[in-house]
Amino acid sequence: MGVVGAGVVTERRHILAINGVPEVRASIVVDKDGERARHVAELYGFPHWSTNLEDVVHGSDFAIVAVPNGLHAEVSCQLLSQGIPVLCEKPMARTVEECLAMVEAARRGKAPLAIGHNRRYLEHIRLARQLLQKGLIGEVQNVQAEEGSPTDWPRSPSFFDPQLSGGGALMDVGIHSIDLIRWLVGEFEQVEYSGNGTPQSVESEAELRFRLSTGATGCVMASRTRDLKQKITFEGRDGFLEVGLWDPSLGIRCTKGKAFQNFPRLNAYVPRRPPQDSSFVDQLHHFVSALRGQEELLVTGEEGMAAVSAVCRAYSGAAPLSPARPVGAFTSVSPT
Amino acid sequence: MTARSPRRVVAVRVHEQDDLARACAMALELLPGLLPSTLPAQVVIKPNLCDITAWETGVTTDPRWLGVLARLLRSIRPDVKIYAVEADAISAYKTYRSCDETFERLGFVAAAQEAGINLVNLSRSDTLEVSLAGIPMAVRIPQLFLEEMYFISIANLKLHPYTRITGILKNSLGLITDADRSEFHPHLSVLLSRLHQLFPPDLCIIDGRIGLEGRGPILGRPVRMNTILFGADALDVDETACRLMAIRPGKVAHLRQTAKDLGRDFGEFEVVGDLQPRTFVFDDPEGHSAIAIKFAYRRWLHHLDLFCNRWTGRAIRLRYDPLSFKKSIMAKLAGGQRGL
Repeated sequence: MGVVGAGVVTERRHILAINGVPEVRASIVVDKDGERARHVAELYGFPHWSTNLEDVVHGSDFAIVAVPNGLHAEVSCQLLSQGIPVLCEKPMARTVEECLAMVEAARRGKAPLAIGHNRRYLEHIRLARQLLQKGLIGEVQNVQAEEGSPTDWPRSPSFFDPQLSGGGALMDVGIHSIDLIRWLVGEFEQVEYSGNGTPQSVESEAELRFRLSTGATGCVMASRTRDLKQKITFEGRDGFLEVGLWDPSLGIRCTKGKAFQNFPRLNAYVPRRPPQDSSFVDQLHHFVSALRGQEELLVTGEEGMAAVSAVCRAYSGAAPLSPARPVGAFTSVSPT
Repeated sequence: MTARSPRRVVAVRVHEQDDLARACAMALELLPGLLPSTLPAQVVIKPNLCDITAWETGVTTDPRWLGVLARLLRSIRPDVKIYAVEADAISAYKTYRSCDETFERLGFVAAAQEAGINLVNLSRSDTLEVSLAGIPMAVRIPQLFLEEMYFISIANLKLHPYTRITGILKNSLGLITDADRSEFHPHLSVLLSRLHQLFPPDLCIIDGRIGLEGRGPILGRPVRMNTILFGADALDVDETACRLMAIRPGKVAHLRQTAKDLGRDFGEFEVVGDLQPRTFVFDDPEGHSAIAIKFAYRRWLHHLDLFCNRWTGRAIRLRYDPLSFKKSIMAKLAGGQRGL
């Protein structure tokens, strides 16, 4: 397999994942910065490095695309159209049009396209999905997601360039919550956004209020300057589920449940498996299984596009909330 | 009985060994409020199936309870779904014992089919690991108990070398879905109290038609006691079982712990019916102390291990990553303990 992009996420996440999936053999790393590509190749044992994307086509069965957001579509389309399956980092692209181009390239090249919404592979997120699907907390009525910190891992300058990144805190950080909310509850139908971005700079603070296809309402807050709660709370008719975004914590309350007769909530214990964040390993393992036809792709191009679409609608303000339900009427009730 | 606590335990003398239905009818006559007037959609029954040994030995629950209880429950709510649950275990002979095999060989499969009850092997069901205050390891519990239910616990009248008695509180240990529960034994008193808070039974039955003395809870001698205890409160019913076996409840550590956690004293209830105690004899009366010392030593070792790990980690962080050390200390000062 080949890796396109030799930046922080490749070094910190994808290379660990490659080492954790024995079926995968790293063949080449490509970066426009040749020195960087050579350094990563030498450090992590890639037999080849290059600055030319075509070398991936000739030397790999599939590729991980971990370049700046603004290049996701261009790089992925080039690979997909030549039949190279792609696991592309999130967000899928900057715009829905770019996402559509990627989906179309995958169709034309008959190559699978997966998007790296890695949190779907975390044990406690899967457990949360299982509990929600069982209807333990009843129909979800409200969702509150908060993620952000001024001390998050270092980012390249491309993250702060609106042209290259496609967006700021919401596109980069908030999209994780958006994807999880879509996966766990339902599609984003109506969105309203506020943030501090300008045409020259991406936002460092974002707040996305929404209504889902299920009727649930809620808010996603993303920040690069404040320490937020780093969790999503799903409030249902019969209880709540509190899901950690940075730690594998899961708090649950089912009002009528036997186990909650004497306890206001239960904290599920979800052990971490090494490496510390095994979601990238599981993501890659799943992608390989899907390529072999053993599993259905979990996060397809269409899924990745839906998350980008929610963000783009938020940025454009194209779908205001209905006057009958102004923003102020949205309730945000914290679990007790 | 004090005016503050109108709780009651019914002791029914059973002369016809096989007439469980009659025993239930007598219990309901003596305590009409024993069963509720309405039931939730599902009822869960937890028998005591700690080994593959016939009920006549006093070790396990009589499978005929399923039919008797099913009839009673359906007279309240005809469409109620009833589950009988148990988990896999490591037997007294230190061998793995599948609960499915236990169900089959003890006649629970046939009894459940006849009564329209679903048997659930909790070890194969969906589970959730939770942290419980005072228990150093995570406890794996069945997700079934996150749902609304009416919960019936049926235990036997037995001695136990460490906890002194088994009973309703001890029966809840079988709701932990890991087969090997030996790591919990040094923390048993606290664990049983926490499990009681997690899974408080709505109806407690101790089938003391045949008790077990000597080397309980599996290898003891059967004793004909002809008594069945019914009650809504696990601690009260276990305390009554103690009285029936002529054991002081205060000597049973998990009863003491549970009473303390509930903020109660012993004897705050009334026994209705006919309670004829008999002294149950331990084969090895000193055995309890030996096991208690062993477990106390294990607890101490565990605390020492945690202490050393924590401070070694902090020392390393202080030396090589003072910022992380400062963060961890600040977090410790700011945050509380995780757990229930």
